[in-house]
Amino acid sequence: MSEYVFALAVNGLVWGLIIALIALGLSIIFGLLDIINVAHGDFFMLGTVGGLVVAVGTGSFWLALLVVPIVGLLLGAVIERLVIRPTLRQASLTIVTTFGLSIIVQEMVRATYGPQPRRMAAPIEGTVPVFGIDYEIYRIAAAAFAAVCLIVFFLFLNRTRLGTWIRAARHDPETATALGVPVTRVCAFTFALGTAMALLGGVIAAPITTVEFRTGVDILPFCFMAVIIGGLGNLQGTVAAAIMLAVLEGLMTSVLEPTSARILSLGFMCAVLLVRPHGLFAGATR
Amino acid sequence: MSKLEHARNRTRIDRRSFLGTALAGGAAYVALARDMSAFAQAGGPIVIGHHCELTGGFASWGYWHNKCALAAAKVINEGGGIAGRKLELVTEDTESNPAAGARKLRSLIQRNGAAFVTGSVHSGIMLASIPVATELKTVYFSTGEATEATGEKGTRYSFRTGTDTYGLAAAGAPWAYQNLGKRWTIISPDYAWGHSHFKEHKAIIEKLGGKVNDPIFVPLDAKDLIPYLAKIPQDTEVLFSVFFGALSVAFYTQAKSMGLERTMKMYSVSGTIEAIAPADLKGAAEGVYIVENFPRMVKYKDDEFHRQFVKLIGTDDVHAREVGSERVNAKSHSWQSYENLFALKKAIEASGWKAKKDDQGVIEALEGLQMENSLGFPQGAKTLRKEDHSGIIDCYISRVQNDELHVIKKVSKEELVTHLPPRFDLSRQAV
Repeated sequence: MSEYVFALAVNGLVWGLIIALIALGLSIIFGLLDIINVAHGDFFMLGTVGGLVVAVGTGSFWLALLVVPIVGLLLGAVIERLVIRPTLRQASLTIVTTFGLSIIVQEMVRATYGPQPRRMAAPIEGTVPVFGIDYEIYRIAAAAFAAVCLIVFFLFLNRTRLGTWIRAARHDPETATALGVPVTRVCAFTFALGTAMALLGGVIAAPITTVEFRTGVDILPFCFMAVIIGGLGNLQGTVAAAIMLAVLEGLMTSVLEPTSARILSLGFMCAVLLVRPHGLFAGATR
Repeated sequence: MSKLEHARNRTRIDRRSFLGTALAGGAAYVALARDMSAFAQAGGPIVIGHHCELTGGFASWGYWHNKCALAAAKVINEGGGIAGRKLELVTEDTESNPAAGARKLRSLIQRNGAAFVTGSVHSGIMLASIPVATELKTVYFSTGEATEATGEKGTRYSFRTGTDTYGLAAAGAPWAYQNLGKRWTIISPDYAWGHSHFKEHKAIIEKLGGKVNDPIFVPLDAKDLIPYLAKIPQDTEVLFSVFFGALSVAFYTQAKSMGLERTMKMYSVSGTIEAIAPADLKGAAEGVYIVENFPRMVKYKDDEFHRQFVKLIGTDDVHAREVGSERVNAKSHSWQSYENLFALKKAIEASGWKAKKDDQGVIEALEGLQMENSLGFPQGAKTLRKEDHSGIIDCYISRVQNDELHVIKKVSKEELVTHLPPRFDLSRQAV
């Protein structure tokens, strides 16, 4: 057993909280709109690029953290109106649509921002010892911020009128419409919210990872795994699954080759699909 | 037999006659097409394909390979072309994907009629392409580093003017062993290029008496490297990292945040910092030692050819950054896309090549080709070794100091070759 097993478990928890924020965006879009959003990773990438551009342009990372999700909200609303709405409720068609969107977003960033990878400096410097390794303070702050965002999201979903409308539209759109809920606008807002969460995750993760036009490609499968294991459309399940997967993979990496660790993660997902086809936490779905 | 039945029998085609007719027709078509191709190439432009990563994971390098190849074609055509014929450069995007790359190579050769191809810097694409180029009997210059391309998977048609993992290990490992430390750990991506570096460096370090710990291979899609960095043994004196693109940035950033440079020397190959300015890493690469093929700063190969080349490509003299943009030249590799066209020009003219049927002459001219330091070969004088079709070139060991790559030792091609005996003789294969 690796001597750093506890440190890697902590790191998995930290990374899992950040991933959970991104996967949650994917999950609410699927849960309400039945859209399998293949472009979600690219929205995350837009968050990293946008975060760097704003942080460098204004000299303030904190401003980027505020501005970029708002831009994401607007961008999501525009994309929902132009790209998503024409294919709404046709899950298979949305895969094709969002795949095209993914290529367009990536190539637009490559053509304008350039293909070279860049680094965003962490706004909080320094390390603290965590079970034998020097651990970045920023990572801990990022995880704490992601956790706060998750709490705020669930409070919003459960304690506000708009949140109630979103839940109502997810549960039974026809009855919600009959009761006066503006379901079309709720759908547009939900897609915009999911997009904004991906961009927010991008800004938070940018100082940890790399900023480039393909950053979103690799993060998408992990998010999908969290959504599938958590139960399609099950928001709490997605968060729990993202954290669980990150911790498990971190722990397995400490004792196994990375490829074996990934195979075990995928094997775990297959087992969940076989034993509980609706996900580990399917009971709470819809 | 009625007249009608007789007529039917005369027009009915049995299986044997159908096959015979089809085979004869096919053979006639192939012969005609070959003659037409030869005729078309005899006096017209010489089509050379460029197999390049314009999109995908290697796009930040591919941009420069494309720019260098275009610059070389321009210089060659302005100087009268190749043997008086215009060079027509046709570029195909490999998408940084081996399957797409192999398909695009066929397109270059079969659809665009490329007589020769200068190719991919992506090791996976390069290794997928060599069998295709060999099958289509077309000379293929690769620019990637996996040693197999001019080794066990090389053929009479595969060439490389730059260094491979074998050459880079020979250039840098003995010096790094003497000056940086004797206990090594290698961290690299979990694919051909990284594995190849591990194998070659381990062989040299262990031969010198050093110790190489188990390698740490990182999946290509990893975003968080902490689980892998935590596995680096504490007794490591030299951490040898082999990454590219986004993984490089992630590695330098996260290694710096863990303070690894405080307890071990950081050593890399040029690919790890290719197309990246150290300044853009905000100090994360400070102090790292790197083996280069072509010094990034002009002052370390201060001659008119280097200066002209830099001017042609449009970069500054210090960071190799494009004038007017933030892009940084992938200089230790992209020069090959420039020089390969000049190497082909030299071989075509020396052999008197007129058409595809004369390819053997070009191959024989390339085997052992001497290239002098000139505008065509600004990286420096070099030899394309006959046996393994590999470039024997000057290399440089540099260090990132104040966000600049300063050369601290030049490894001359004469010194390099003493550590680099040929392990394969591709020149004995039939054409």
